[in-house]
Amino acid sequence: MQLNPSEISDLIKKRIENFDVNVEAHTEGTVVSVTDGIIRVHGLSQAMQGEMLEFPGNSYGMALNLERDSVGVVMLGAYQHITEGDTVKCTGKILEVPVGEALLGRVVDALGNAIDGKGEIDTDQMSPVEKIAPGVIARKSVDQPIQLGLKSIDAMVPVGRGQRELIIGDRQTGKTAIAIDAIINQKGTGIKCIYVAIGQKRSSISNVVRKLEEHGAMAHTIIVVASASESAALQFIAPYTGCSMGEYFRDKGEDALIIYDDLTKQAWAYRQMSLLLRRPPGREAYPGDVFYIHSRLLERASRISVDEVEKITGGKVKGKTGSLTALPIIETQGGDVSAFVPTNVISITDGQIFLESDLFNSGIRPAVNAGLSVSRVGGAAQTKIIKKLGGGTRLDLAQYRELAAFAQFASDLDESTRKQIERGQRVTELMKQNQYSPMSVAEMGVSLHAANEGFLDDLEVNKVLDFEAALQSYMKSEHADLLKSINETGDYSNEIKQAIQSAIETFIKTNSW
Amino acid sequence: MSELATLARPYAEAVFKRAKELGNSQEWSDTLAFLSAIMQDESLAAIVNNPRVGEDKLTALLLDICQDQITGEANNFLKLLIENGRLKLLPQIAELFENYKADDEGYVDVDVITAYALTKAEEQSFATSLKKKLNKEINIHASVDKALIGGFLVKAGDSVIDGSISGQLQQLAKRI
Repeated sequence: MQLNPSEISDLIKKRIENFDVNVEAHTEGTVVSVTDGIIRVHGLSQAMQGEMLEFPGNSYGMALNLERDSVGVVMLGAYQHITEGDTVKCTGKILEVPVGEALLGRVVDALGNAIDGKGEIDTDQMSPVEKIAPGVIARKSVDQPIQLGLKSIDAMVPVGRGQRELIIGDRQTGKTAIAIDAIINQKGTGIKCIYVAIGQKRSSISNVVRKLEEHGAMAHTIIVVASASESAALQFIAPYTGCSMGEYFRDKGEDALIIYDDLTKQAWAYRQMSLLLRRPPGREAYPGDVFYIHSRLLERASRISVDEVEKITGGKVKGKTGSLTALPIIETQGGDVSAFVPTNVISITDGQIFLESDLFNSGIRPAVNAGLSVSRVGGAAQTKIIKKLGGGTRLDLAQYRELAAFAQFASDLDESTRKQIERGQRVTELMKQNQYSPMSVAEMGVSLHAANEGFLDDLEVNKVLDFEAALQSYMKSEHADLLKSINETGDYSNEIKQAIQSAIETFIKTNSW
Repeated sequence: MSELATLARPYAEAVFKRAKELGNSQEWSDTLAFLSAIMQDESLAAIVNNPRVGEDKLTALLLDICQDQITGEANNFLKLLIENGRLKLLPQIAELFENYKADDEGYVDVDVITAYALTKAEEQSFATSLKKKLNKEINIHASVDKALIGGFLVKAGDSVIDGSISGQLQQLAKRI
């Protein structure tokens, strides 16, 4: 957005008109020391925990350690211009960021400033970054699904609106890919997405933005960026910033999905800050409250009741529940889920999607380990068709894994074992899915039905995906109505079952894969 | 600086309590002011920091310097500080002592900075209105700073009331 000089002077004129001169009373302190982004300030006896402090040069810091004679402050942004003896002012405010519809389609930093070169963000609503999660009374149980568009996840580890589902795995196992597919799949559903990139390379972030733009998914997405080059303080607050932006939609009776990519790096940033603030280190040198930084963040992802939405909006929105679904990402080192931060986040979330490098390298992508991945609340939210058909898939895979291990040693297997192994191989194959091609409920239903009813059993394993692709395009061209009705109702009645069955049977007769 | 205040606090507290018991806090206040003044003297600081100067010598020297100024208990206090190697804390101790004293006696030291010198009447009206606001007796130290352009700046400890033109200009600059 380029302004011409006359517009700028108009803007300034307006600001001056609206400027009311007032005598300001504040508390002041002086900078005692500046070390590694941590500033000690003498004075400021009235400072609050987490309060924004104003430094010279229009820069801000956050008061974190309130000690008897000094305050430990973390700078948000550059601190090189601050010197000993500078005056520091209390602002009396906790850090706030802009929220609202205007943020959709934008890329912002951890303080909510636009960094995508599309001009200022046109919103006057602000929200504190740290808020207390909704209470028990305000909540509603999770009973609506959110479709991530991936067969292996929607069928086996379903996620409900308002759930917290962890995506965990080593580097290069496709964690971000799942998150991006999930965002793309929300196109046209009305679910707003927030992608929080913490401590990532700027190049990967710009790739994500480009991919989302390519798939038309930026229009319903906010991207919050605290890249690896930004200060630890910004990396630490970025998730809270994103969460506040998501809560805005939740509180007005809409559904939102937030992805924290990834919380390991946030914990690192917090560890850095804490050690520099001389807080005592604990396990893996993390401070004592590293559990709390994640628990209070993820607790804010929730589904709130109709009454609560009505109360928050002052009666403007009636009869709607709001939800904020969180998909935190944790990167493990060498598959070690028993490290400190992974165990913490596993225990906080309502289930996890476990990705494995071995599966990824053997071509099973998404590399979801079906045995270790669980969803503690999503089952209640699944659509009927996926629930019915997905149960069979999960069972097939579980039995297959058990048998496959020991079948390696057996030369001849009995008929039923062999059948189960063959079914398992085909289901495993069927669970593969290309990136950026999320599937609708009906498409998934058809594929799963084909597997459950044994249509895949006669195929070569390496033909399964070709068969599926051909079947899907056949269904799309010949039975679009059926797919549409399944997508709308999500039912798996006898009629629908019959309809799918006969459609697949006719398709098989065409022999066209 | 903040760490020094932490170290100085027990000394200041002890001195203040003792002074209150004896009711000679003004005397102590003068003593501490004098001691902190001599501690800020460069040549003396060199001697205090010199490890070759033993405790005995230092004690003798300091008592010699201060003999006319300080009384029996203050002598003991000085010896204690030398023994504990905390002589350098004296400025902080004096500052904290003054804070305790002001707190106890119910007055605040207020710096009023204005662009032009205040008249007696203006100073008086400042004092009465500040007294109402802070609920304490006011001890005004007025000074002049042309950089304010106009208006006033009131500093009482940590809190600042900024009614100056330069402060308002800064607010405006931030808004634009």
